[in-house]
Parts: sequence; C-alpha cells; structure tokens
Amino acid sequence: MKSAFHPSDLVSVQARPSRLWTQSMSWLLFIAGIALYAQFSIARHKENPEDRVVPSVHQLAAGVKSSILEPAEEDDPLDPGAGLYQRLRHSMLWKDTASSGRRFFVALALLVPAILLGLHMAVFPYAGALFLRFVLFFDKIVALSLLPILFIIFGIEEWSKIMLMVIGVAPTLILDTCNNARAVHREQIVKAFTLKSGSFDIAYRVVLRQILPQIINSVRLNLKPLALFLFAGEMIAATDGLAYRIAIMRRHMGMDIILPYLLWVALLLFAVDAFLRFANRRLHPWYQPL
Amino acid sequence: MVSAALAARPQLDPIPALAPVPRRTEIALRNVSVLYPCGRGDSKTVLSGIDLEIAAGEFVVVLGETGCGKSTLLRLILGEDSPTAGSVQVDGKPVTRIDARCGYVPQKYSLFPDRTVMGNVMYGPENARSGILGRWRPSFWRYRRELRDEAGQYLGRMGLRPQDLTKYPHQLSGGMQQRVAIAQALLMRPPVLLMDEAFSALDPSTRSRLQEQIHSVWLESRPTILFVTHNTQEALLLGTRLILLGRHLDDRSQRSNILLDMENPLSRLPFARRAQSPELHRIQEQVKQIAFAASSMDGTEDPAEFANPESDSQ
Repeated sequence: MKSAFHPSDLVSVQARPSRLWTQSMSWLLFIAGIALYAQFSIARHKENPEDRVVPSVHQLAAGVKSSILEPAEEDDPLDPGAGLYQRLRHSMLWKDTASSGRRFFVALALLVPAILLGLHMAVFPYAGALFLRFVLFFDKIVALSLLPILFIIFGIEEWSKIMLMVIGVAPTLILDTCNNARAVHREQIVKAFTLKSGSFDIAYRVVLRQILPQIINSVRLNLKPLALFLFAGEMIAATDGLAYRIAIMRRHMGMDIILPYLLWVALLLFAVDAFLRFANRRLHPWYQPL
Repeated sequence: MVSAALAARPQLDPIPALAPVPRRTEIALRNVSVLYPCGRGDSKTVLSGIDLEIAAGEFVVVLGETGCGKSTLLRLILGEDSPTAGSVQVDGKPVTRIDARCGYVPQKYSLFPDRTVMGNVMYGPENARSGILGRWRPSFWRYRRELRDEAGQYLGRMGLRPQDLTKYPHQLSGGMQQRVAIAQALLMRPPVLLMDEAFSALDPSTRSRLQEQIHSVWLESRPTILFVTHNTQEALLLGTRLILLGRHLDDRSQRSNILLDMENPLSRLPFARRAQSPELHRIQEQVKQIAFAASSMDGTEDPAEFANPESDSQ
C-alpha cells in the first residue's frame, strides 16, 4: 500500500514516488528556469526598454517569427505576396537547419565504416593487432587541433567540417564497438562455430547483431560531441548553418535569434536521440540493458 | 594411500554382460599435456600425459574438483585450446580448430540472446544448408519450412510448448534455456556432444528432469557424449563410463591426470532405477575417497569439493 508523501522521503533511498509526483517533479526545473528568465528579463526591461541581452517574450516572439518566415540577410528578399509554404521554405531557420542537418547526417553515415572497423578489430585478431594501438593513439589527438590541417586538405568548404566531425567521433565509436564486441561471451562464438558458422557469419550474424543496441546507444551518446564539432567547424568557416547564424548574431547582440536557435538545436538533438531510442526498443525487443 | 583407494575401486555384483562389440574410436587423446604461461617465464601444467580413447556412442562423464582440468580437456576436444604436447583426434581427424564435428552445450550463455527459441534452433541447420547468398533461393525457403516443422517437433520432445517457440532466451527459465541449447546442438546431429557443467546452474528438480531427457535422447540416437561435471551423483546416474581427473604435486607445479577410468556399474540398470539403487551411495563414496586420497597427497587437505553436500546433491 502506498503511504502518503513525507518530506523525509526526499532523501530516502527507499522512497517510491507516485507517477504524479515523478511527472510533476520532472517539469519543475523547466518551469523554474522559465520563471527565473521572465523575472530577470522584466527587471532589465524596466531599466532599459531597448535591452537586447535578455530579450522579452515579445522580442523573442518577433525573433522566432522573422527566423521562420523571413529569408536570411544575405539572401534575396521574398516577394511580399509569397505564401506560407514559400516563406517557410526560404526562411533563415530552414536554410540553416537544412545545411547543418546535411553535414550532420553525412558525417553520421561516414561513421558506419568506423563501427565496422571496431567490430573487425574485436573479432579478427589480426585486424585488432593492426589497428588497436593506432586508434588508441589517434583517440588522444584533440580533433579541433586538426582543423587547420583539414582546412588545408579539404578547403574551407563542406568536407572540412564533415571530416572534423568524423575524425572527432570515429575513434570513440571504434573503441566502444570494439569493447562491446569483445564483451560478447566466448561461449556464443564457440557455439556458433559448432553450428557451422564461418568467421564472417560470427562477425555479422552473431556479434554485430548482439551489440547493435549498444552501438546505437553509443551513437546516441556521441550525438552531442558530433554537434559540438559541427558547431566548431561552422563557427570558423561557413556561409550558412545553425552555428554560423549564432556566430553572426553574436556580433549584433541578437539574443532574440540566438536563444530560439539554441533551443531549436537542443530540440533537434533531443528528437534524433528519441528516435534512436525508440528504434532501438522496437528493433531489439530482446535487449536487456544492465 | 592412492593405490589403496584405487584398489578399492567400486564394483557391483557381476551382471551378465552382452558380448562386447568392437566400436569405432570417436575421440582419441594421445599423451596430451597442457601448460599455461603464468607470468615471468613460469608455466603451470594443467594436464599431463593424458591418454584417452572414447568409442562412438559412449556416454562419458568427466568428474573432478574445480580447477583439475575438466573444462580444459573439453576445450581440447572442441578445438578451442591446443595441447602443448600430444595430439587430439575426433572422428579420426586431428582437431586444429573449432568446427561442427562436436556439438557444444556450455553451462551459461548457450543461446543467442537476439534470436527466438526457433531462431536459435534453426541457426545451425540453416548454416549447414546454405551460405548467406543461397538464402534468397526459393529452395531454401522450402527447406526452412520443413526445418521449422522438424525443429518444432524436436523442441516439443524436449518439453517446450508451441507458445515458447517465439520467446527470446531471457523470457525462459534456466532449465528451458538448457533444453533449447541441447536441442540446438542435437539438431545438427553432431557425432560428438560436449556438455560443460550443462546442468550445474539448475535447481535440483529441473536438473533431474533434464538428466532424464538427455539420457533418453542418448538412448534414441546414441551420439558420443562427453559430459563434464563435479557432481558425482550426476555422473553415476548418466554415464556409461566415468573418468575422474585429479591433481598431483610435482615440483611445485600442479598437474592433473586421470585418477580413475571405469565403466559405470550403474549404467547397466534402467535409468529410473539408478537413483534408487543402494549401490549409488556406496560407489559415490568410493569415488569421493579416491579423489580425496589424491588431493590429500597434493597437500590439499580440504575435501570440501567432494564432500560438500550442496555441490553433490540432486
């Protein structure tokens, strides 16, 4: 039987909060953050109605509206009679999201070989012997320090930014996949051999299938580093993209654009993470995380 | 002390035996030794000078205390380990790597967690039938349907219900998982089945049911079974032949050898009568004494491994 809430439950390991309490508490910090911001903004706007550092709700709404309905400054203005779809399609936010998204997903696709390399390093001893030490060393190189080299090799166009993301995240993914693949119980591999499996059967139909949920979780954990490298690249050399826009707006103190962009990026990453989590659960109902 | 114990090896009243039929040697180990490096140039001898021949259709149980090399012996036959000296042959051919000549049922992690019961059981025969590319042919799909029926029947005989066939291993009890693992291995019809403490993680009643099932499977199709256990009672109930491995002390390096290799007198009785046989307890005690005598010679004073009623009870 559930007992009533007692303040001492807040620091009790054995507390069992009800669903209502859990839901309410999970939103508490969001509400507190918004309230704090609103109060701070109101206070600043009382002193200076033109304050741009902590924009008011009206300023933020105007910023969001111009982001999603108007083209970027560097683009041609739209025909005043353009419809909503046209406005959305040519908006600054859409343009930046599409550019950053393209870079992000191309980099994500290029990380697939890294995952396979990690798998091969774990399953095939000679591949492990060849690559492991090098990858361990490469993992310690600060990826951002490679940016000038990448600019020299790939120019300041798209590929330098994409390669920065790939180089920044690949070693972690390789090593994580390798560790996960090595953790597959030896009995499974022995058993598979006794069931007429070949080496590639073992690699792809036994080990990879078993570690796929962990690989997806590993990708989920690496979404933020991936976005971090994307932002670094875009802030240094780009003509569009979410980070490029934030960097431009910083010069103009355009917090009314920066804050919505910041929340939009967080929302996009959250959506990708949620999609991967959902896909993982649906595709691997057998997976029992520790 | 050992010789005295060996002299008192278990014997039953003579039972008229059938005329011996010469049988093909299925597994042969000749002068096999295994050394493991243990740092700073030292090595530990696990098995030393093992000579062993197992005929086709025998149900051999390898007994011994923890660390005496039972599992090492099994891994040698499986091809997972190589002997430091000597040779291992299965089906007349040397064992150099793990292959499908031997079926394998380990104590744990015996099923692929990402496949259903049916998927696990069909995995081997599908591999045997065709490579990855061949699986797109219509003939493979026909074969798969037939195989599904056969696997279903096999699993039914092992006591699984139709609704269990679509479950994943984590949804099954330990006993059910081992039943599936045995079916998975047997459906490949391997000439040799190796079982490494396959029932030791199970509760006594499940263990007892599985012992009966594995015995009836053995009676039906007579594969050669090598069953590793540290449970003397289990060994006496199942095996036609008992092999007791134990350690000797030699130049501070412990090594194991065969202390006892005998036909199981109880194997002449029907399975259902073995557990009730008054001889069971007597032979069990004698086997323990032999093992204890050897381990006392080693300086291993504690006979707990064999005397522990929990590790040795059904």
